[in-house]
Amino acid sequence: MVQAHSPLWHYLSVAPRVLLAVLAFAMWRRGLRRQFPAFFSYTIFETVGGAAIYAVYMSPSVSSATYWWSYLSFLAIEVFIKFVVIGEVFTNLFRAYPSIGRLAKSLITAAGIVLVFAGSLIAAYASPGSFWFVSATRILGRSVSVVQCGLILFLFLLAARFHLTWSRPVLGIALGLGVMASVYVAYWALLADWLLGTKSYKLDFLVMSTYHLCVLIWCYYLLVPHKSAITSAAALPENNLAAWNRELERLLQP
Amino acid sequence: MNLAIILVTASILALGVILRLAVTQSLQVRRRSRLAVSVQPIDLEAFRNLSNPAEDGYLRRRLPAGEFRSVRRARLRAMAAYVQVASSNASALVRAGEAALASGDVRVAEAAQQLVSDALLLRRNSTIALARIYLALAWPNSDFAAVRVVDRYEQLSGTAMLLGRLQNPAVPVRIAAH
Repeated sequence: MVQAHSPLWHYLSVAPRVLLAVLAFAMWRRGLRRQFPAFFSYTIFETVGGAAIYAVYMSPSVSSATYWWSYLSFLAIEVFIKFVVIGEVFTNLFRAYPSIGRLAKSLITAAGIVLVFAGSLIAAYASPGSFWFVSATRILGRSVSVVQCGLILFLFLLAARFHLTWSRPVLGIALGLGVMASVYVAYWALLADWLLGTKSYKLDFLVMSTYHLCVLIWCYYLLVPHKSAITSAAALPENNLAAWNRELERLLQP
Repeated sequence: MNLAIILVTASILALGVILRLAVTQSLQVRRRSRLAVSVQPIDLEAFRNLSNPAEDGYLRRRLPAGEFRSVRRARLRAMAAYVQVASSNASALVRAGEAALASGDVRVAEAAQQLVSDALLLRRNSTIALARIYLALAWPNSDFAAVRVVDRYEQLSGTAMLLGRLQNPAVPVRIAAH
């Protein structure tokens, strides 16, 4: 079952793309593409680009070199779009909180610089294999995954520190990206050092299953309506307010 | 090999943190309607006294250097405790403000927005103040002032009071001497 080109392998290659196509269509119908243009573009790109890579892989007339070039190109564009999606998550999260927007922007920029530096260091210490484009793909994948995982983790920590409320779609997009990025870090780390040798295809199942799970997370958070919370506002404790008020009054006296 | 092990461990930790925070966030959204706001009273005057540079100057002049450092560290630890409570109160008020944002009353919603904004500023200031307090703990002779935290806390109290009035117009908020 867990073999390359097994029915499970084909299912995990095709099903997430089909689901993403459905998600893109539903986003377009519900007007979510205007709210999340980068994520909408990502779903389109993954659907079309992923299908193209699958077709190239399955085609007997395509050489392995052509496949790796195609895959490297796909990965490079995907990396760029994912960064734009992370930026979109950041913008959506902090839009409702202008009072800390500037601080958050400075912090995420600083975190990004540190992570890019760390990613470059990791790339510099890579052990290249005999096929340079395969090595390049793995090293690029590993460094970029570290940066993306770090940025998403930082976003979650920042939001938790300030007790910010995520909107449901933004939380879903960030959660899917975060799960995927963290699993990709481990995946590329093991692949880039050629630790698993010919058994590395087994890792593909882990990463493909994770990707499928992330697509399901996105579908759930973006398409399934959530139960609306009771909209009655919570009253503040009067005793505490009065105590603050007394304190304030005493401090305001000249 | 070592780098791969480090990255795999880091990725597992990152995944755990992301999942935990996402689940916590989802639960918070569900529980918001049942939220009981719990804010602890803070003695602002005591905090002002602790953060007053003139007090530190006086102690510096009156006490031997070693004793001053010891007293200063104790004062800084007390300051940190106050700031942590203020920060915790600000978190509770962010949640209360966000719950009140759902109100259909425009005045309540505006007051709630202001409360959230002020509480987040206080949270930001208290984070910075805590960092400075911990730095000052390492170098007790350095100058430190947390006046902005105090100012922000006063402003926040006023906003919370306004929101409380708007939400419970029948309940008068008394102003009394302490």
